[in-house]
Amino acid sequence: MSCARIGILALAWSLLAICRVVPAAHADSPVKIGALKLTSSAPLFVGMDKGFFKEFGIEPELVFFQAAAPIATALATGQIDVGATGITAALYNIVLGGEQIWLVADKGREWPGYPLTGIVVQKELYDGGLRSIADLKGKRIGITTLGSTFHYSLGNILEKSGLKLVDVRVVPLQTMPAALEALKGKQVDAILLPQPFPGTAEAQGFGKILFWAGDLHPWQTVAVFFSKKFAADRRRAVAFMKGYVKASRYYYDAVLVQKDGRPAPGPHYDDVVRITAKYTEAKPEVIRLGFPYQDRNARLLVTDIERQMAWWTENGFMKRTIPLKGIVDTSFVEEAAKAVPEQ
Amino acid sequence: MAVERVAAHDRASFLLRADHRLLRVGALAGLLVLWEALTRVGWIPALFLPSPLGVIRELGEMAASGQLFVHLDASLRRLLLGFALGAVAGVAVGVVTGFFSRAEAVGQPLIAATFPIPKIALLPLLILWLGLGEPSKIAVIALGVFFPMAINTYAGVREADPLLVRAAVAFGAGRWSIIRKVILPSALPMIFAGLKLGAGTALLLLVAAEMIAADSGIGFLVLHAGNIMDTTKLMVGIVCLSLLGVLSHWVLTRGERLAVPWRCTA
Amino acid sequence: MRVIVEGLSKTYRDGSGQDVVALDGIGLTVEPEEFVAILGPSGCGKSTLLNVVGGLLGATGGEVAFEGERRAGQPLTATVFQEFALFPWRTARGNVEFGLEELGVPAAERRARAARFIAMTGLEGFERKYPHQLSGGMRQRVGIARALAVEPAVLLMDEPFSALDAQTRTLMMEELLGIWERTRTSILYVTHNIQEAVYMADRVVVLSRRPGRVLEVVPVELKRPRHEGQMGEAGFLQASERIWGLIKSQAQAALVEERR
Repeated sequence: MSCARIGILALAWSLLAICRVVPAAHADSPVKIGALKLTSSAPLFVGMDKGFFKEFGIEPELVFFQAAAPIATALATGQIDVGATGITAALYNIVLGGEQIWLVADKGREWPGYPLTGIVVQKELYDGGLRSIADLKGKRIGITTLGSTFHYSLGNILEKSGLKLVDVRVVPLQTMPAALEALKGKQVDAILLPQPFPGTAEAQGFGKILFWAGDLHPWQTVAVFFSKKFAADRRRAVAFMKGYVKASRYYYDAVLVQKDGRPAPGPHYDDVVRITAKYTEAKPEVIRLGFPYQDRNARLLVTDIERQMAWWTENGFMKRTIPLKGIVDTSFVEEAAKAVPEQ
Repeated sequence: MAVERVAAHDRASFLLRADHRLLRVGALAGLLVLWEALTRVGWIPALFLPSPLGVIRELGEMAASGQLFVHLDASLRRLLLGFALGAVAGVAVGVVTGFFSRAEAVGQPLIAATFPIPKIALLPLLILWLGLGEPSKIAVIALGVFFPMAINTYAGVREADPLLVRAAVAFGAGRWSIIRKVILPSALPMIFAGLKLGAGTALLLLVAAEMIAADSGIGFLVLHAGNIMDTTKLMVGIVCLSLLGVLSHWVLTRGERLAVPWRCTA
Repeated sequence: MRVIVEGLSKTYRDGSGQDVVALDGIGLTVEPEEFVAILGPSGCGKSTLLNVVGGLLGATGGEVAFEGERRAGQPLTATVFQEFALFPWRTARGNVEFGLEELGVPAAERRARAARFIAMTGLEGFERKYPHQLSGGMRQRVGIARALAVEPAVLLMDEPFSALDAQTRTLMMEELLGIWERTRTSILYVTHNIQEAVYMADRVVVLSRRPGRVLEVVPVELKRPRHEGQMGEAGFLQASERIWGLIKSQAQAALVEERR
């Protein structure tokens, strides 16, 4: 065989090999879901553990992050298809900056009676008399990053007590574990973190939960986002949403039902606790302290989105607000909610 | 045999290096123009790489609102304090270990052992000891500046011309007179070299320190802008850092020319 | 001030651990206001001798003594170095004032005294210049002014002009003699150049190769003030030949010897 022949054969063979790799973009490829190891991700964990996504033809792949902001970046660059995380200023600025991501479903709200984010103070300070939000004046408050959901909660809660963000010292600590450590090491006086961290702080004895943010200022905190590319793939996107809505109902019926203002655990309560503990690697007792609220069919509180954008803009984190239709798309969740039968 | 007549010609002309002033300025300007154009056309997504004009506009807004100066003030304060502390301590240790053999025997191994530790790695430890406020930030900068200063000053002291020391002794100078009037001036070029090294390290450590628990400063600005995905502000922060670096180098070079007029170093 | 050197010996250990005898039983005297040259082949220890007299080296044997009246605070010696040894970070004036500073002379008086010798050495107008801005000859003028400024009892000069080119050297020799006529300090002048030694000195001490011993002290019978014309006179030639005769074979041997 001549050199030229060998060369052509080699080229053809490599092209064939590449062709085998290329079909990865088709319906069989896994849907990458970026999430945090938090109780608020429980519906996702349930959907994965119980095979609800597979039921609708979706292969889910969980990708864990340490904070919400990196999830936003990963969505913008298309490294993940679905983001399940807090709605932060970063997310709004990504859309303002020209990269499209879509807010599509509920995944957690600060809601009265349901623990999501806790304001945890040093045990010593609590014992020493720090009991109200007003007492936080001048104190060092640890959060993950500026522009995070904790920042938003803190700002709004302070305003409700007549204080402003400048009346406290906000200390960004980058990750949730770091914030927990900072409270333990007494480098900050209080922190705002979501479950299961507040529970862990109390269980280990160095923190005391002062309030749950939802009791003081309810808002649409956590959501499900789609990347531009995934949203354009209507079939798969709706399929994913169906699995999610089914998981959401399972979750709601198991842990969120209340009778006379007291939690009334449903039949699958222990199952959900077990699954959540498994994925978050937290102790079940800590998980049992409570689950965050979300709409049974995972519908978004759309009006709150506008309110959020106004607050961020007022406080200088955004240059201007975005028209709702440029960022919210409820068609997926509506379609899924109608299509998934009740069990 | 025919008589030849050949003229001598310059065979070394290709070694001459022209200034190319126009090219220097033109290249940078051209790059900026290209960048701006590509952003406008949409080839470069604005979120990932803001346009130069956008960055300048943001810079102007931040200057007008005073926000820029709050951050610059905080950063400069930390930088100058840390730098001064580290430099003074470094020169003192360098002179003592260079001049006194016992101090050298004790000090040199210590410095050699601790110098290779990346100072950024010490930051969490310093925060633990000194808290999240200013002291830990200034301390880490001071540490970063201390080592090049101590090492360079030591070298400068050791390099002092023995002839000049002898001449000073010949004219009646005692130990401290020699240190003050011969050793220190002699070591100045090395000290300035250490200052320039230290300036680079100081800036690096400033940004690192400001990214961990600060609420003001250019490093903080960069981190904060990154966290909320305001990439234009992020670029402003980066431009400020670059300018700080250029400015400090310029100041040190002028200072060297004033303090060491007998040696023309770059 | 009279300088008396008696039985001076200096031994030191060289790089390979061996003992080297640099000077062996040197004896000489410098009378008040006398100009004495020390001359010898390479390695004869003439600089070592000067350093011991100047207190920059210790003797291993023998003694160096100074006899005579001394003003309060007057230093015994001051040295002019072959390589100038000027402080590059000080101006010419700053260098000249150095010795006075170390003597504790207050600033105004320092200025005045330095100014005198700056004028004497022809440095007027160059006070603010740094050494790197001056020519070799000018630098050595600063060196000389610096040594003179402390008005020592004895002036020590270690081959002060050998780093200069021949023309400058000749001019500087004339200048030095002119200055010496005015100050009349005792001078101990080390050189390897026979013409230089004979031209400048009252007496020339000729040293042998290592270990350095005094071969002979050759007097120079030439009238003062000295001038160029005397270089052709009998007295000059006689002294030069005598000295050369003494050291020629020494110099030849020194040529092939390894420098330790």
